[in-house]
This record gives sequence, C-alpha cells and structure tokens, in this order.
Amino acid sequence: MGGASALAACGSSSSPSSVSSAPAAAGKARKGGTLHAGLTGGTGSDTVDAHRGVDNVDFARIIALYDALIAYDLQAQNKLALAESMEPNKDATVWTVRLRPGVTFHNGKPLSAEDVIYTLTRIVKNNYAGASSLGSVDVHGLKALDTLTVRIPCHSPYATLPDAMTGYYYYMGIVPVGYDPKHPVGTGPFKFQSFTPGQQSTFVRNDHYWDTSDGPYLDTLVITDYPDETSQVNAFVSGQADVINLLSATSIPQVQQAGNILTADGGGMTPFTMRVDQAPFNDPRVRQAFRLICDRPQMRDLVFGGRGTMGNDVFSPFDPEFDHSIPQRTQDIAQAKSLLKAAGQEGLTVQLVTADIAQGTIRVAQVFAQQAAAAGVTVNLRQVTSTEFYGNNYLKWTFAQDYWYYSKYLPQVAQATLPVSPFNETHWNDPAYNKLYSQAIATVDPVARTAIAHEMQAIDHSIGGYIIPYFPPTIDGYAKKVMGVAPTNVGLSLGAYNFKAMWLA
Amino acid sequence: MTADAAPSARAPGERAASGRSHPIAWLIWTRLALGVVTLFVVSILIFAATQLLPGNAATAVLGHNASASAVRTMELRLGLNKPAVTQYWDWLSGVLQGRLGTSLANGQSVWSLVGPRLLNSLVLVVLAGVIGAVVGVGLGMFAAIRRDKPSDHALSVGTLAVTSLPEFVIAIFLVIIFSTVLWHVLPGVSPLESTSGALKPWQDPRELVLPVAALVIVIVPYIFRMMRAATIEALESDYVEMARLAGLSPVRVLLRHALPNAVAPTIQVIGLNFLYLAGGIVLVEFVFDYPGVGQGLVNAVSDRDIPQIQFIVLVLATFYVAMNILTDVVTLLATPRRRVAR
Repeated sequence: MGGASALAACGSSSSPSSVSSAPAAAGKARKGGTLHAGLTGGTGSDTVDAHRGVDNVDFARIIALYDALIAYDLQAQNKLALAESMEPNKDATVWTVRLRPGVTFHNGKPLSAEDVIYTLTRIVKNNYAGASSLGSVDVHGLKALDTLTVRIPCHSPYATLPDAMTGYYYYMGIVPVGYDPKHPVGTGPFKFQSFTPGQQSTFVRNDHYWDTSDGPYLDTLVITDYPDETSQVNAFVSGQADVINLLSATSIPQVQQAGNILTADGGGMTPFTMRVDQAPFNDPRVRQAFRLICDRPQMRDLVFGGRGTMGNDVFSPFDPEFDHSIPQRTQDIAQAKSLLKAAGQEGLTVQLVTADIAQGTIRVAQVFAQQAAAAGVTVNLRQVTSTEFYGNNYLKWTFAQDYWYYSKYLPQVAQATLPVSPFNETHWNDPAYNKLYSQAIATVDPVARTAIAHEMQAIDHSIGGYIIPYFPPTIDGYAKKVMGVAPTNVGLSLGAYNFKAMWLA
Repeated sequence: MTADAAPSARAPGERAASGRSHPIAWLIWTRLALGVVTLFVVSILIFAATQLLPGNAATAVLGHNASASAVRTMELRLGLNKPAVTQYWDWLSGVLQGRLGTSLANGQSVWSLVGPRLLNSLVLVVLAGVIGAVVGVGLGMFAAIRRDKPSDHALSVGTLAVTSLPEFVIAIFLVIIFSTVLWHVLPGVSPLESTSGALKPWQDPRELVLPVAALVIVIVPYIFRMMRAATIEALESDYVEMARLAGLSPVRVLLRHALPNAVAPTIQVIGLNFLYLAGGIVLVEFVFDYPGVGQGLVNAVSDRDIPQIQFIVLVLATFYVAMNILTDVVTLLATPRRRVAR
C-alpha cells in the first residue's frame, strides 16, 4: 500500500520528520464510496480556479482537480508529475520540458505542449500568485518544439525553476487551452461536479487518471466548509465528516474518541517578522536579543503539545540545500539583556500585531510576550482580524507574524527576502545576500549551489529579520474506516489533501 | 432583544389616522413610505461602514497573496480604484434597475449566492417562529390556568433559566446531548450537503431539528411569559367573572372570552421574536454550519464583498419593516375597539 511504503521512507529519512498515529493498513485498497471531508480555512471568496487558490480549502480542491509539471512527494522532495523531464541548458537560461505522453484532460483532450504555454501565459498575464515565481521567464518566447516538448526561455539564469514550480502557494496546475474556471477541467485524480463558495464542493473519480500507482479509489469526494473547529469536530464526532483538517492540540482527545489523529511535521512556517528598516529592529542586536528571548521548546509545548519541529530562524528545513550544521539557538535571557543594553534599548516596549491567520499564531504571540518580560521587554499584543491583517498594512507592520506553506529555500528567498520580493515583510535588503542569490540561481550544479545557499543561511541565522521558533505540525483527524491516509512534510493537511490515495474500508 | 418589551397595545399611526381614511390602510401606506426611506438610509450607512473597515475586497480575497502588485491588479479588475461615491452610485443605479450585481469575492451573481441562503434561513425562521409561537402560547395559557400550582412555578422558573442563556450556548448543549457526547441520534451540524451539491432544507429534515430546537428554546420564554401574564389579567377581569357566573364551561370561558383579549399583546411579542430571529439566527447558523444568510453575511463582511453585504442587509431591513407593519396590522385586527375609524 502506498501509504505504508511512504511512511517507511519517512521514518528512515535523515530529515527531521516524525510520525504519530500510523495509518493502519487493512487489506487491499478498494474502489468505491463517498468521502466527506470537513475542512476549515475556507471563505466566501473560495475558488476552483487552478491559479487563484489562497486558502486551505482552495488547495484541497485544486490538488484534486489539477496536476502541475512537478510537485512534492510526501517527504517534500521534488517529484515530476506531468513533466517527464525538465532539463536546463548550461547557464540555465533555457529549460526544455518533456511532457508525459498519454495524459488526457477531464474533457478527453490529450495534454500537449500548447496547454503548458497557455497555462504559464495565463498566470503571468493575469498576475496570479504564480506570476511571482515566473518573473524571469520570457513568456512571449515560450515555444512548442513538438506536441510534447516545451522550450522555456528565461531573461536571466534560473537554475531553480523546477523548485519554484513545486510550492503549493504558487501551484501551477496545467489547464487546457481555452480553460474556463466556471467549468474547471484539469488532469487531476478527481473531476469537477459542483461548487458553492464557502459551503461545499463535490467531485467524482477520474477513471482515466494517468498515475494509477495508488488510487484514485473514491467514487465521490464531498468537501464541506466549516466556519470553525467546534462545528468541524462536532461533524466528525457525529459521523458527518470522515476526515477533518487543521486541528489544534486541544481537540485531539475528543477526535480520538471517534477516530484517528494524523500528525505530520510540516516545513511551513509561522514566523515573527521584524522590519529591519525600522526602529528598534534596525539594530541587529535587538533582533538577536528577540531571537534569544524565545524558549522554543516551551513555545512548542504550549502551542502544539510538543508536536512540530524546532526552528532555528532559517526557513525550508526539508530542502537538501538546508544547512543542518548551524547550531540550534536556545533561550539566553542574560545575553538578550546585555545585547539590548548595548543597543541602548533596555526596558524596550514594542507592539506585536497578531491575528488568527494560522494554527497557533495568537497563542505563540502570547507566549512570546510572557517570555519577553523576563528580559525586561514589554510586548503589547494588538490582535486584529485576519482581513485587517492582510489589509492595507500587510507587509508594512513593524513587528508581526505571518504564515507560509513549505517552499524550497531559494524560491522562498525569491518570495520573501530580496528587495524585489513581492512579500518582503522584513524589508530585508542585504547587498552581500542579494549577490549570493544571483550567483545561486545561475548555478546549475546542485553541490555548488548548496554551498552558496549555506552562506545565505548563515546570514539569515545571524542577522535576519525572521524569528522562526518552530515549524508547526499539521494535526488532522480521520475516521477509522478511512484508509490510505499518510502524513507529509509539506505542511498541508491530510498528506497535502491527498484524496487520491484514500479509500474506505 | 428586550425581554420585557412593553406590549404596546396602542397601534402606532392610529392618532394620525383620526378623521381620515380607514386606519389600517393609512397605517400601511405611511409605514411603507417610511420603510423605503429607511432602506435607502440603511444602504448608505452600510456602504459607509464598509468603507471604514480596514482592507477592501481585493486584499480580503488575496489574503496572504496580497502583494502590492497583485492588489493593484485586483482593484482594477473589481473597480475598487474608483471613488467611493461612484462605486455607491453604480451599485444603487444597478439595484434600481433590478441588477443586484456580482460578488466581489468570487464573481458569481449576488442573487445566485444569496438566493438559496435566503430560502434556507426563511425555512429556519418560519419553522422556529411558528413552533415557538404555538408552544409559547400553549404553555402560557396552561400556566395561567394552573396559576401558582407546582407546574406553573416549574414552567416559570424553567423559562427564566433558559432566558439567561445565549442562543449559541443552548445550541452547543443540544449538540452535546443529542449528537456528540450523550446520544448520537441527530446530526451535530447541518451543512445541507450531498454528493451532488447543496440540498434544500426539506430534503434532509433531520438536519433542521437541532437548529430549529435551539431557536424555539430561545424564543418560547418571552412568548410564554407574555401570554401567561395577559391570560391571567384577562381571567381576572369582570367580564370573565361574569361569563363564569353565567355558567359557561371553563374551556369556553378561556377560548372565547379570555383568549381574544390576551392575544393582542402576545402578537406584539411574537412579532418582536420574529425580528429577533432574523438577526439571532447568525450565531445558530454558525454553530451548525447551516448555509443561511447569517453565515453568508459573516463571510461577506470578512470578504468586504459590498454587493453581497448590501443585498443581505437590505433584505433583513425589509423583513424588519414588513414584520413591524404586519405586527401592527394584526394587533389592530385583534383589537376590535381600535380598528374602527373615528
């Protein structure tokens, strides 16, 4: 069974991933049945458009309907999907993508190079989220070399293009030429049946799915939006939902009475963001002091009951380019105090803007405020709604939080820590760092590129604007009859909403 | 809502009606005219309020993806770059021509989004209101007849206790008792889902039981107390005394002589409770994930989806105005001495 083998691979991998509540393999997977997924995180602005997903429920639908050229496996490593190969030229200015033959869309149309060109052009032309990963791609120069081969030219070297195409946030589901989101068609394991934003959506199995290694098994998939965890858990306990996502640690006992818990160590992050261009955080000593204030194990215990992996203020822990040799930062109040004193910021008072934007964000802000008191720092919490958080002041808060799904290191840098990054919330602009990034994305050799990435991570770790106390786990529930549920490191719930592998006993 | 809202037995508009056309017709016309003005003012207030909220539909829809350039693109697409007055005028002129517009959040037509929700909420409100009224009136009369006996005291104390609980607490208690902890006999949530899309509420009546029960439990105490008090007052009156002395059967005394006089103030309270239901269902819909207008309004506000907010609020405001007129008319009809033109 796919779930069990993925699990074994997970346990033996060197990356810091742990798994609790192993899914029990009960016989051979069988087709049929309806799975009711009760998901939180949706809103009235939910979508089934392949390229406009924002929240968890959007991605659950998008992953069911569409495939990208390349995606993550359960260990958050690159895995080719619709692409059979992706090869750069010597200086990474031209990529050649060979498509998997014999793939058809839900409407029966065969996948071709023109569809890839249409998809990438659609993303860039409409400035959808994925456009920020395609900035250096010359979309006007995209060319079909034959029906299954696409040539992707770039304005400047772009050795990390495949990495930049894997992340879920910028998911580039391939859609057919002339795609109409009102009648969504993709190549994914499930076909569209109905959709009511903020309420529910239904899908049926794609019997012509190209990847038959493990599923799809379910006849029908029903995704229902729940406004909060209480109603979601009620639905689970009363048998109206078979799988539920994004639980907090406090719900675990209740969920366990009616089913199983799936905990996964995700590589997404919920960092504190310090604006390095504004007082008091324009002084690296203050940033260091704030990072030393954190009692990270305590934060993890209080917020997630000890689940999740420890953070070291550097993002993308499952990337092979991540430097695990950097010493783990631990709480050191005395040093934090002396750094603050040296910076002339004794008895500092700051405002921390927090919102319920991801699991545990408000609680960890409260914990930080308490821990900061020991160093003589007064942290005033300002709690706003998530709509206000992402409103006009988003990316401008002096000291706030944010959440990111997992992304590989260099693509994450492109999104968040360069002067040209669309989401540079820490206002990070370090000339040496910028130069290293330019070198890295022009380096095709993975070993040489990893060395450069490690240099950048050393800078992140010593003076960066993020505090990453932990990488939050995902905690989900699934009924005893649901099989094929396996954890993933990419930080999305339910094995990255892997409904394809799920079946009903 | 006000627990002890004074039952205004005097029909508003009555004095103004003196010496003119039939008082009921006059009341309806003036109230309708005032109602239209009210709706207009409400639409301006709501629009102004949404402008004051932090963020707009573009940032709300984009959420974490709200980079500066994405927000600009989205604002252009949604027309949010236009001045607020222009946006309001575009909306108003559209509505006056019967176009409710499209949702800023997802591009679907407002009617297709809100229409099914209106129907769902209407079913909830009407069921809860009617059941609540019947139960409340029945219990009120019963308690009045059994005045100062143990059953009367039990009912009075019981309803008073319930009055002190907010509706979502009652809803959660019901879920704990009937769905999740004690028994597992009823659905704990009511999303009206099916494998082929959203259901109409009557297609799965089991899902209606707990939300309706929660709302009924909330409104019954008010109706009960008013009905009890009014019936006791009527039973103590001289004409009931007279009827009794004349040897009429107790049932006939109650139904033919006491009830008609007790019912007028109770109708006011029932009307008030319908008004409460129009707003009070928000929390109950939230607890049960019931796809009604309350839940739709919460979503629309967090999405800053102005066309949807405006439409839902206008529907609710229209309901308020209509229910007020209806209550007054019914009260007048139930109070013979007040419905004659003088």
